[in-house]
Amino acid sequence: MFDQITAYTNKLVADRSALPGEIAIAAQDDVLIVDGNPALAQLAGDVLARLSCLGLVAARSSLPFADFLVARAPRKESFIIPRDTETRTFLHDIPFLRREEMGSDPASVIARLLGSRKGVVVEGVGIVASGALTIEQAYINYSSVFHSTFVKYLQDVLHDGFVLPGEAESFAAFRRDWLRPLSADGLAFRCGPLADPAVILHEITTVGRYTVERGLVDSFFGNISCRAGDVIYISQTAASLDALAGCIDPVPMDNSSTFGITASSELLAHRRIYEVSGAATILHGHPKFAVVMSMECEEVGCTVTDCWKECDRVRMLGDAPVVAGEIGAGGLAKRVPPVIAGPRRAVVYGHGVFTVGEKDFAEAFRAMVEVENWCREEYFRRVAERLKIGP
Amino acid sequence: MGAVAVHGWTGRILCVDLTTRESRHEKIPAEFLQAYLGGRGLGVRLMRDWYRLDPFDPAMPLIFAVGPLCGTPAPTAARLSVVSRSPLTGTIYDCSAGGRFAWRLKAAGFDALVVTGKSATPVAIAITPSGTEIVDAGQLWGKTVHDAVTALAGRGSVAAIGPAGERGVLFANIMMGEGNSVGRGGLGAVMGAKGLKAVVANGDQPVVIADPERFGKARQDVMRLFRASPVIFGELGIGEYGTPALVDLMRQRRMAPTDNFRRTVFEGSGNYSGPAIRRDFHAKKDGCYGCPIQCKKSTPAGEHLPEYETVSHFGGLNGIASLASIVKSNTLCNELGMDTISAAATLSAWGEARGSFPDGEEVLRLLADIAFRQGDGELLSLGSRRVAEALGRPELSMSVKGLELPAYDPRGAYGMALAYCTSNRGGCHLRAYPISHEILRKPIATDRFSFSGKARIIAIAEDTNAAIDSLVACKFSFFGATLEEYAELLSATTGIGYSPQDLKEIGRRICLAERFYNCDNGFGVADDTLPERFFLEPGSSGEGVEIPPIDRARFDEELQKYYRIRGLTPEGMFADRDFLVKQP
Repeated sequence: MFDQITAYTNKLVADRSALPGEIAIAAQDDVLIVDGNPALAQLAGDVLARLSCLGLVAARSSLPFADFLVARAPRKESFIIPRDTETRTFLHDIPFLRREEMGSDPASVIARLLGSRKGVVVEGVGIVASGALTIEQAYINYSSVFHSTFVKYLQDVLHDGFVLPGEAESFAAFRRDWLRPLSADGLAFRCGPLADPAVILHEITTVGRYTVERGLVDSFFGNISCRAGDVIYISQTAASLDALAGCIDPVPMDNSSTFGITASSELLAHRRIYEVSGAATILHGHPKFAVVMSMECEEVGCTVTDCWKECDRVRMLGDAPVVAGEIGAGGLAKRVPPVIAGPRRAVVYGHGVFTVGEKDFAEAFRAMVEVENWCREEYFRRVAERLKIGP
Repeated sequence: MGAVAVHGWTGRILCVDLTTRESRHEKIPAEFLQAYLGGRGLGVRLMRDWYRLDPFDPAMPLIFAVGPLCGTPAPTAARLSVVSRSPLTGTIYDCSAGGRFAWRLKAAGFDALVVTGKSATPVAIAITPSGTEIVDAGQLWGKTVHDAVTALAGRGSVAAIGPAGERGVLFANIMMGEGNSVGRGGLGAVMGAKGLKAVVANGDQPVVIADPERFGKARQDVMRLFRASPVIFGELGIGEYGTPALVDLMRQRRMAPTDNFRRTVFEGSGNYSGPAIRRDFHAKKDGCYGCPIQCKKSTPAGEHLPEYETVSHFGGLNGIASLASIVKSNTLCNELGMDTISAAATLSAWGEARGSFPDGEEVLRLLADIAFRQGDGELLSLGSRRVAEALGRPELSMSVKGLELPAYDPRGAYGMALAYCTSNRGGCHLRAYPISHEILRKPIATDRFSFSGKARIIAIAEDTNAAIDSLVACKFSFFGATLEEYAELLSATTGIGYSPQDLKEIGRRICLAERFYNCDNGFGVADDTLPERFFLEPGSSGEGVEIPPIDRARFDEELQKYYRIRGLTPEGMFADRDFLVKQP
């Protein structure tokens, strides 16, 4: 398992969600294995030994947002509830532990919290996340918490401004140092139409990796497909976008076979998009600023309370329509196809972005970059406007 | 006895002695309920004083146990477990089944029905809110399940046996009135040995939920995860096509048992795939009472259509490509009250031994012979292990601890290989259900051709599933939801805080109790292994997928890891002989 520990430590560094040197991973087979930062490794091992889980990640987040959320939370609160779809669907809420609540046996307290949830924010320590079956699962849960706290903090700043000493400076540093320009420049895409299955599989694998390497999405947040004739080649459920080799299902358009049961939960959305748009490729990811901005609804007097599911309005983020709809059979597949054909892009409330390409992935990739860049710029414009701070 | 919880449980057992024809109510200690939940866990706890008995001993209890979520709107929770000792395997045995019967039993005011004794003449037990009646069932003896259910339907929801259970077929089922099976281990034969043709329950008391608002939110969370799961509500998932949705996948993964596991690809499997069944039989959605998934399928006329295991074993395992024949075999098994997996696998082992697998017509004749224990059916009614031993070819029984393996070839999924062997009820796919992650990628994909980490994964999954079987919920729920959401449902129902970790620890207690019973009855490391074929012969490689024999040394190494994780000796036994008495 040491090879897996090394691999996911490297992924945490590569995706810049954790600080190098401040990562530990624990795993238990018939014996407990820990590796990484000594203090965090001790903690990780002590926590995991108390849980019926195989893997655990304990790492200091590369951004202080989770800690800020804890410090900003009312004293009586013990968890935070980000509003993004990932949290709503899979995490429900994220418990946290304040510094003063750790006591003499923090591992025991953290284990108790992780006994109920997939990840926990430990103030001053970082994010601790478990994986019931694999180290990868612990990594995914860590990334989910990182993603959700990122989105919530940006939303909270937009609504409430800075309330803690040092927040404004950290936020400025985040914008200046952590964020990187997004672009498709320098990437090579195969020109369509794509017809050869081997070429399609290779191109999907390549483009999936691009989305992660360019920081457009986190590795497992999204799916990708290409239609060739009567077959949709689509990434499998729970597949990492940067490791799609062997994880792509060819699914007949007419449902004459069911081995695509392992395909992405958004297979239905992809199929319907192909049916209405004439597209050849689809890219779906959860770029963070698009997720944040999709939830910035300024409708006044609206009676809808379940915005993720029940809103039937189509709003616009630049030239990208925003619609509601939950994952899989939860409505997304009904609401995205009608709006995506014209603009070749659509945003789903609290969830992420769909883009399409007429012939190949170049158009879809560039469209996703454009949506996220527009949302990023709009976010900072609104922050500046509301908080009266400069760029 | 402690105080009984107000919410979630009734706190009462109905005990019926068929020898004396007496029934009585007993209170269940609250600590039992909280420590074992219900269903499988409660049944296993109630077996503590009886597990050494022969399965057909009149004193052997046959336990019908519901769970704390039964009677609530918790998705897939209108279920019960039936627990006893299996005459097929000799192990402790439980099986979960859905249907109105579970709900009606609980609504009559009971968490469990414990049947002991043996009636001199055939009887049925009728349970109503006003009392329990033991009624004559002589006129029903010999009737098919359908006829028995029809005759008793006016009294309430029915659990009944068919001719196979009456005659002691070692893989006889107890059938729920809506067609669900208490299958595999032959508990129908235990019921038949007691002279009990049927149980009818007709309770009407509602279950009061401690925190309805919390419950409602948790239920919404579960349903959201169901909708997000491609396996459950995906357009190619089991909600649409039933479990035969797996036929194409198993073919593509080259792990569909064929010709008694000599091969792992059956060229004719497309004839009985999910889309083929929909096309040829106009399959419509059907399913357990109160279940939103509706994974069972039936014809417009109401005939139940076979599930994945059944189509695969009456299909490829016996070299039969005719869907019509497979559907007939399934219907006949349901009518006669027999387990389809064990029946088909026993026929397959027998077929290999004689040099030819039975065709569709012969299968139908043999199934009837088995149920009535006549002709070749007398031997075949004993299951594949005893058949193969009697024929001098013990290696042809594709079973573990005497329970026939289902339709996932272990050479195509190494966690499945290990889990078949560590399962406390024999070669069962549902105890740890590694197909979920090794094939279906839920909740996360694992490498199906690697043993790495599988011992821990299997142990955790066994504990998790034991808890699920004790709630009692359907394991298919967990293609989408997790224990997080079901712990919430349980906490909201009972008013007692349960975390997922709590549930896994309860599950571990149940699994270890079962293991202890088995060890005490003589099971050990020699029983925790696969048929030789899987270590010696390859499967059907091709299309870039290699299906080699399983590496025995690596398998043994992982099994030893499992023992260490479980705190067992290298022989798979308990070092602490007092383990059981230390448990609640």
